[in-house]
Amino acid sequence: MKWGLRDVDAARGRDLVLTGVTVPVDPSCVTVVVGGDGAGKSTCLEVLVGLLAVRSGTVLRPPKERIGYVPATAGLYADLTVQENLDFSAKAYGLSGRAYRQQADRLLEQTGLGPARRRLGGQLSGGMQRKLAVGMALLHAPDLLVLDEPTTGVDPVSRAELWRLISGAAAAGTAVAVSTTYVNEAARAAVVVLLEAGKVAASGSPAQILDGFPGALGVMDGAERPAGLAWRRGITWRVWDPAGALPMGARPVVPDFEDAVVAATLASAHPGPGR
Amino acid sequence: MRCLAETQAASRCFGQFTAVSKVDLAVRPGEVLGLLGANGAGKTTLIRLLLGLLRPSDGTVGLFGESPSIETRRRVGYVPQTLGLYASLTVAENWDFTSAAFRNHRAPLPESISAWKKELVGSLPLGAQRQVAFAVALSHRPELLVLDEPTSGVGPLGSARLWEGIRRAATAGAGALVTTHNMEEAEQCDRLMIMADGKVVAAGTSADITAGRAVAEVRAEEWSRAFALLDGSRFPVQLHGTMLRVGSQPAAVSALLSRAGISATVESVPANLEEAFVAIVARPAGA
Amino acid sequence: MWAMISKEFRELRRDRRTVAMMIVLPIVLLVVFGYAANFKVSDIPAVVVGPGASQAAAMLPEPTFRVTEVDPAADRSAAEARLRDGKAVVAVVTGAGVPLILMDGSQLFSVQTAEAALGKVARDAGVSPRVEILYNKDLSTSWVMVPGLAGLILVFIGTLITSLGVVRERQAGTLEQLAVMPFRAWDVIVGKIAPYLIVAAVDLVVIVVIGMAVFHVPFAGNVGPFTLGAALFLLVTLGMGVLVSTVSQNQGQAIQLAFMLVLPQVLLSGLIFPVSSMAIGVRWISYVLPLTYFIEISRGVMLKAMPITDLWEPIGLLAVLAVAVLGLAVFRFRRDLAPGSRKDRAAVRAQEPVAS
Repeated sequence: MKWGLRDVDAARGRDLVLTGVTVPVDPSCVTVVVGGDGAGKSTCLEVLVGLLAVRSGTVLRPPKERIGYVPATAGLYADLTVQENLDFSAKAYGLSGRAYRQQADRLLEQTGLGPARRRLGGQLSGGMQRKLAVGMALLHAPDLLVLDEPTTGVDPVSRAELWRLISGAAAAGTAVAVSTTYVNEAARAAVVVLLEAGKVAASGSPAQILDGFPGALGVMDGAERPAGLAWRRGITWRVWDPAGALPMGARPVVPDFEDAVVAATLASAHPGPGR
Repeated sequence: MRCLAETQAASRCFGQFTAVSKVDLAVRPGEVLGLLGANGAGKTTLIRLLLGLLRPSDGTVGLFGESPSIETRRRVGYVPQTLGLYASLTVAENWDFTSAAFRNHRAPLPESISAWKKELVGSLPLGAQRQVAFAVALSHRPELLVLDEPTSGVGPLGSARLWEGIRRAATAGAGALVTTHNMEEAEQCDRLMIMADGKVVAAGTSADITAGRAVAEVRAEEWSRAFALLDGSRFPVQLHGTMLRVGSQPAAVSALLSRAGISATVESVPANLEEAFVAIVARPAGA
Repeated sequence: MWAMISKEFRELRRDRRTVAMMIVLPIVLLVVFGYAANFKVSDIPAVVVGPGASQAAAMLPEPTFRVTEVDPAADRSAAEARLRDGKAVVAVVTGAGVPLILMDGSQLFSVQTAEAALGKVARDAGVSPRVEILYNKDLSTSWVMVPGLAGLILVFIGTLITSLGVVRERQAGTLEQLAVMPFRAWDVIVGKIAPYLIVAAVDLVVIVVIGMAVFHVPFAGNVGPFTLGAALFLLVTLGMGVLVSTVSQNQGQAIQLAFMLVLPQVLLSGLIFPVSSMAIGVRWISYVLPLTYFIEISRGVMLKAMPITDLWEPIGLLAVLAVAVLGLAVFRFRRDLAPGSRKDRAAVRAQEPVAS
């Protein structure tokens, strides 16, 4: 792998928050780190960009000038206009002159923020703020783009536009690492790393993770929770047996990526005997 | 079957601005209705109309068969996006406060959250906080649940657990109105309503909404060139690994790619809910 | 309704800073007004010179006066020197005719108390001494307050407003981004503080100029020592502002903490109530407040034309405070900005070269 984490242990204070985590991030690829709240996604990305030191393991990253980072709180300056925010980012990375202006104009067009150039950052909607923040991180054409939950709470239209930006960066050769809680975003990654409680529950391409789905998956109806490993999907239950023996009344069904993710999370949280 | 919440051609204007325009909505006992829409689409205003916090400029709004009022609000369980909990109070203290507010004094703390009884809400992880908020909203056994992004930020397993609770309430006879930006969550609902610019632009089950919609799936060796070309030509294209999905006619996509000398296989596949949503909202019904 | 009340109480109990303000504040105010606020001064340091020194000294009543020196051989200029140094507030120059009493007009309340006491002594003794009030001959309050207020404004900008500026960054989440951008921690710190430094400096000049123009406050001394004192004082207050920001998560907390640091300075620095009249148990607090020393410097330079050699004590102490406070502030701030430090870089370097 060109960039990323290899077998990293990291701690905040005395708590170990990451254990043996490997996250590969390669050029022209989107690596998505997916997991629930507290799983360690933000921590992974903070380690990747150097905001948090590791206790053991290796971190590979380009020098600061070649990194673009957007934290979960979408850091941009509420009291500066869109243009001023971009100017600041440009100056910080040493961009200037015509090259900067062209790049800035192109980004403003791509993000649809052109008409809002003179609006204050604080007056933009959540989706527009995220787009601006990603734009600021892409301004200097970084080798590594790291986005921490860029689409949480963002409406679907803005989310699609953000992913176009992200895809565009990957298509242009950037190595991209994104964290998310949305499984359908993980499904469009080249590499998925599923985290649960600071450990890697599954890793690989979406197809690989799906292929590796162990055991049998079934669907059941009814109001009562079925015995064994089960979770809700719409008005039915998914039931899963890693050993392959479905309970009575369950209709077998082909698992999809979401099933694979939930199963892997369950397996990680409750490692069964002999696994 | 009696509706728990209902609007008929409800509209609401603020001066010149129409926030909600002729919306028909119905939530029946036992069903979960999902409300989707971009920001500013009118979802929040519609919910405010239902709760009686705003009066409609036109049309009717009914809550349990009457006009919304403070009495009918008592039968609603509402969980806002910010959870409506006090971070510096414990779970038990939050429970006591809500119980007292709904005149449901000394109701016992439910099993599902009793493990966190003495924890400060602010110190709990997000999934636990959402569980607590949900339990607190259910404490006075409401007939209608209104949940704003109930599983935002929680991840797939936590989301499934929360939805277990929502389904249990629905099976027991309550109805639920859920607003969400999350496609997985939308799939958990029985029916969906998509809003844009204050109007309802699509309604039905997830299958209804994606029916007949297709995207062009592109597989190409030179996928990054293909992407740059399509993106630059304003085609709505998304990257999935090294495969592209374009929300346009396959013929147009093929033509563009072959003109540029990029060899690719282009085939038509069914759109997923997110792609359908984007297509619908970008070109509102009738436009 | 009762539910609302009890919930509010419970929330309040957990908000430590607000509780501290509600409890600490009344105590501070009580202590200050009890022990520090004293318009009637006692222990006024006095020197007596001239041939009749010993008799004169005997006539100065204690405890109002504290005679520090009796020197029959010394003359008026020596006495004046003592006044200028701040070593004495009252000097009695005895000689051939009527005794001359010199008083340091920059110590307003001490002088007022001294005047009253000496008046009584003079009447009892049937003597009519000449009285000369130096440095502030009309005993004008504004002459004494303006140099002090200059310091107060610097405290506000330095501590309160600087802390808000930095905390705002932390709240918005942009601090993390700054840490990842190709800035050195030093760039960020100086970049954050510099505007406030400049604005405070401009404010200072404006106040002094207005004081001089409108209230006719003199600027008797050298701009040099004043500027040096002001610069060091600003560094201390700005450092405190940054420190406050490193322990505050949002602007509300920052305001509360900054306020709790500023209030004692207003009351105990000698701005209003003279330090010398504070009970010793409270006076030690004034000695750790930077504003106390700045007021010494500003009053000393503006009213008494004190040269820098006489001001080495307050300037020196401000310098020490500046190094300590600013040093601590920078240390803590760096930790926020660059936690992925040496150990992390070693791990990276050891395994694979960082591609450029």
